[in-house]
Amino acid sequence: MAQIPVQTIHRDPQLFYWILLPITIVMVLTGILRHYATVMLATAPKKLDQKTMREQRWLMHGINLRGNYHVLSKRSFNTRRDALTAAFESGAYLKNPENRGQAPPNPLSDPSAMDGMMGMMKNQMAMIIPNTLIMSWINAFFSGYVIMKLPFPLTIKFKSMLQAGVATRDMDPRWMSSISWYFLCIFGLQSVFNFLLGSDNAASQMAQQMNQMGSQGTPQMFGPGVDPDKQFRAEAENLAVIEHYSVLDDVETRLLEGIRA
Amino acid sequence: MAPSLLHPPSHLSPAAALQLSQQAPFVLQSSPATVSSAPLTALFSASETPDLWLKYENLLLSCLRTGDEHAAHQCLDRLVARFGENNERVQALKGLVREADATNNADLEKILRDYDNILAENGTNIPVTKRRIALLRSMGRVPEAITMLVRFLGFSPTDPEAWSELADLYLSQGMYSQAIFALEEVLVMAPNAWNMHARLGEVQYMAASATGASDAESLKYLAEALKRFARSVELCDDYLRGYYGLKLVTTKLINYPPKPAVVKATDVDDFTVPTTPTVEKLNELATEKLSEIVRRYTAKERHWRGYDEAEIAAARELLAKDASQTEK
Repeated sequence: MAQIPVQTIHRDPQLFYWILLPITIVMVLTGILRHYATVMLATAPKKLDQKTMREQRWLMHGINLRGNYHVLSKRSFNTRRDALTAAFESGAYLKNPENRGQAPPNPLSDPSAMDGMMGMMKNQMAMIIPNTLIMSWINAFFSGYVIMKLPFPLTIKFKSMLQAGVATRDMDPRWMSSISWYFLCIFGLQSVFNFLLGSDNAASQMAQQMNQMGSQGTPQMFGPGVDPDKQFRAEAENLAVIEHYSVLDDVETRLLEGIRA
Repeated sequence: MAPSLLHPPSHLSPAAALQLSQQAPFVLQSSPATVSSAPLTALFSASETPDLWLKYENLLLSCLRTGDEHAAHQCLDRLVARFGENNERVQALKGLVREADATNNADLEKILRDYDNILAENGTNIPVTKRRIALLRSMGRVPEAITMLVRFLGFSPTDPEAWSELADLYLSQGMYSQAIFALEEVLVMAPNAWNMHARLGEVQYMAASATGASDAESLKYLAEALKRFARSVELCDDYLRGYYGLKLVTTKLINYPPKPAVVKATDVDDFTVPTTPTVEKLNELATEKLSEIVRRYTAKERHWRGYDEAEIAAARELLAKDASQTEK
């Protein structure tokens, strides 16, 4: 096999100062800008009014009782169960008792739900707009430049990643184009932002995307579109089927045996 | 364990609280008075941590307790500068400082009216609601405090702190069954809190010994108190209060005038009193454990020094009384 000659491309050293550095600096600055824009755009969590709080907390209370009923004696548990199921079924703790039995309102028309949507939209915008701008800026000014050579050899598969925008067939994958440097910056500046802005910054888009994935996975408990009346009824049913036992039932025998053992 | 400024100082002994508040000048000097949120300064100065504000708050509480009002005001000013006048927690702390500064009842009445105004604007301001209840209590208006607290729990029933405060208030009025109910609510939210189990046992023991409790009732209370204490020491091995209570209850059951030979409870829903041999064994166990705790505490063994001096003294007294009775 013939030895492949080492490719040499004579580049102007000024490329480094006028392309590599500017792209990097611009990327870092946009990240910082994005962080502060998100902080500024973030709305404070909406305050609950007393009725909403009552609705949510009584439901939580029912769930607590269902989970920890075993600390109570049977008599105290029965009193609580009777009181809670009666109240839950009659809708005593509902925020809007007159809306019982109606279909839940369309989440899109609910103003409180719109807030959440708007927040998400803002975040998306804060991410998309700067990215589009920088991408077009790089495309307009620096497309087609080979700006650096990586100090280690790479296989041919990396060509499409590192030489985006430079359509050559035979060039060594170690050479890198400006647009690829941009992509590398997107993914690689996370630690720089952590250093500059603290670990819970909003500069990195990767973190934001992760967040969105996560929030879609968990069902929202008190979110828009959930009918609290149905939740209460389900909880009342859950409480009604509990077969009671108490941890106190044989505690003295357990204690005596445990000490002896 | 040395007292730390990162934990709420309410349970500390006077000496420890004093020690904390004496650190005040040092803490106030070593941390910056304001933390700027401007981008450039935030890049170059020390970053802000939640711990700092927690420290200020706890320092404020310790300072108020030990009478260092100057430092308390400084802490408060910094918190106000950071979170603004309208932050719920800051409002409560501000009220607290004003309460400490108040010299007569008229001042306190005025503060109470201010709390009312805040609450009229924002009905879900939990820190101020709690502050108002505490102020009512310290002004001796317990029934009003109870009414407020019940109303508060009506819309926020998942608050263990409020339930235990309610239990305490009811107990101070001698309303045992209400106090027991409130303590049970605390346990529903914190099922493994051994101190709450023991506390409930104590209240049940008190209810059983109260004048006016019928024999059947007090036997029922004693049975459950015994089980509560047993549960508390099951959860926490060397819990002095649990063993102390266990010993009290079992002694009482052993000497109970109508011998609990008929262990059958009147109702299946209630706990039955364990058989006499079991009660005696539990009594022995509690005596043994208590004397071990007292002995090891007195000998200043490692890991056995964390007990409260007063509790140890009480345990020693109980043991001495027990010993003198058996000698007779």
